[in-house]
Amino acid sequence: MSQSATIALLGQPNSGKSTLFNALTGLRQHVGNWPGKTVEKKEGSFSHAGKEYLVADLPGSYSLSANSDEEVITRDYIASGKADVVCILADSSQLQRSLYMLADFAGIDAPCFLLLNMADVAKDQGKQIDAEAIEQKLGIPVIPFSATDTKAYGGFYEALDRALTKKARLNVEALSGQYDSVKGFREICSLIPEGAIAGYSPMWIAVKVIENDKVVLDRLRNAVDAETFGRIEQAKKDAQSAVETGGCKFAWIDEVLGSAVTKESKKVSLGRLDRIYTSRVWGKAAVIFTVLFGLIASFIPALPLMGVGSVILMAKAPVGNALTSIGCPEVITLIVTDVIIQSFSYIFKMLGFVFGVTLVFGLLEEVGIMARISYVFDNTMGKLGLQGKSVMPFLVSFGCTMGGAAGARVIDNWGQKVLTIALAWAVPCGAAWATIPMLSSIFFGPGAIVVITAILFTMLLHMWVTAKIFGSRLVKKEERYGMIMELPPYHKPRWRALFGYVMGRTKETFIRVTKVVLMVCGLFWILSYSPSGGNGGILYRIGVAIEPVTKFFGMPWQLFLSYVASAVGKEGAIGVISALYNGGSYGAAFTQAMSGGGTAANLSEILLANVSRPEALAFIFAMTFNMPCVVALAATYQETHSAKWTARIVLYYTVVSLLLAFAAYHIGLLIW
Amino acid sequence: MSLSELKENKEGLVTNVQGDTRFMSRITSIGLTPGCRVTVIKNDKNRPMLVYSRDTMIALNRKECRGIMVEEVTA
Repeated sequence: MSQSATIALLGQPNSGKSTLFNALTGLRQHVGNWPGKTVEKKEGSFSHAGKEYLVADLPGSYSLSANSDEEVITRDYIASGKADVVCILADSSQLQRSLYMLADFAGIDAPCFLLLNMADVAKDQGKQIDAEAIEQKLGIPVIPFSATDTKAYGGFYEALDRALTKKARLNVEALSGQYDSVKGFREICSLIPEGAIAGYSPMWIAVKVIENDKVVLDRLRNAVDAETFGRIEQAKKDAQSAVETGGCKFAWIDEVLGSAVTKESKKVSLGRLDRIYTSRVWGKAAVIFTVLFGLIASFIPALPLMGVGSVILMAKAPVGNALTSIGCPEVITLIVTDVIIQSFSYIFKMLGFVFGVTLVFGLLEEVGIMARISYVFDNTMGKLGLQGKSVMPFLVSFGCTMGGAAGARVIDNWGQKVLTIALAWAVPCGAAWATIPMLSSIFFGPGAIVVITAILFTMLLHMWVTAKIFGSRLVKKEERYGMIMELPPYHKPRWRALFGYVMGRTKETFIRVTKVVLMVCGLFWILSYSPSGGNGGILYRIGVAIEPVTKFFGMPWQLFLSYVASAVGKEGAIGVISALYNGGSYGAAFTQAMSGGGTAANLSEILLANVSRPEALAFIFAMTFNMPCVVALAATYQETHSAKWTARIVLYYTVVSLLLAFAAYHIGLLIW
Repeated sequence: MSLSELKENKEGLVTNVQGDTRFMSRITSIGLTPGCRVTVIKNDKNRPMLVYSRDTMIALNRKECRGIMVEEVTA
């Protein structure tokens, strides 16, 4: 009995598309990539009345032009016929403007229906919308809807069913009539044979030709003979541009809405909250306060998972003892305790962060605050080639880089997302901030404040340089444009859908990240393991052997191995140092330090006796700007979906941290 | 005059929009087309402009506003 149908969700940003997607699919969703592209592909499924439905959440954009990969993917997916029906969402409270997507869609061959979402908001604004009148003009099912209202879903299923059985097609006659007034349209239209580009009507293609759509023009060149294409190009010269066809689309929308919408006119003004956010004086402070408050709030839902992480870690000793007592070989015991248990402890602590940050960021996005953040930081972040929203992952990274990487998912452009994560790595995390003041005050006393300032300054410089280096590859010049964005009205969140989304993302992160963390932790363990129990192991041997080289960077082998350990987790760096200078073996020091223990009581004496000031300075810089930790690496891979870029970022940070250590050491030698 | 020259709380009628293909299609898709009315809500230096048009609050980069020509409407 189980037939299945595929639904594609199409709508502008803030049309409530994600809310609908999350409400329909809940935990049954999956995020991947569109084949060969760096655009995220969100899919999910649900069943209703014994029928199985697949849902594809198409990337949100304001139109279906060729401005971005997202838009081209969206329209090609619809035209390919892979979806049995397209569900188009419009915002009832801004109906005229948000129907632009429908007008831009018109002419793509696919059954569809229209949801007039946020019907409740429109009602509150005193707007009355006659959905039936609109339905008659469009020829497809049209229903008032509210994605946040559970009771509204009956209407959704009913409209879905009607659209599927009728294979409802949009009536484009009136729209085509509007286009007739555009100079050159008729001629271009008549030159394009039916089916020139599969799935698109000649009308749709002609409009895109007039709009100077590069992708359509290229395909058309291959689809028609050279002479016809020449004539099309000639006719295009007479035509205006997107402004004129856009005018036609809005004229058609006005015609469709006609008497179907009545509204009371209201004077617009900013609400109290928006007056603060958009204030020149208070805006930035208000945003930073909001994000910090959100971060603190995100710890509350994160705590249980982090607790699980700590409990797992406590199992290390008993499990180790138990395994030894039943005569298990030492190597196996160590792999179980130091690799597997250790990794899962990391992973659960990380999931706590991912859960908290995804929940809070998702909430800020859904409520509408994220758009205000983008607005406030647009100018500042624009200088780095980023969106205003990128400020959030940066702020989160002061606490935890993996939280920052997980938070970068609110950035909808892949290149900007990767660049944001790459820059967020330069922000020293909480564990680094615990280590920097401690080491600095041991070596430099009150001068520690100078070191901390230098670290902050280096961070800004690092971010700026990194933006220059990676920016040109990730965010192309022609893709750097100023903000043109809607500031949506504030919405009440839909908690169930939001939790469903957060659980889904956390589950997926768990599956993906486990592999990476186990692999990297395992690798480090193998490299540090010494079968004799004493000093030995591959890393130790390499560290000692290349000491002449690392000394050049200001690091004797003990400091260099601590630096290597800091790539796994910065909280371990001090533990490794104190163990090594106390004559402990590297293998043991490494695993102990990772469990969080192991700072010697006489730390300052041993350090002062063994390490010179320039060396200490070099180590502080090397450790701070090294790869943040294994889980940050895993989170980066999870969010970018790119092993290549993750590896590139790791390599880059390793090289830069060594260069910074080199500079710090040699500056130190000049001073002391 | 250009949209960015319009003062806060003033209303204007869009007369012309100019720019490259990408800009034209983006500005059209958010609803700023010739003939539509815009109200300037915020016009601070070094911040994107805030305008209200077609029931929508829109944030616009200042540089991009140069291509949008308006006529002031006196109510």
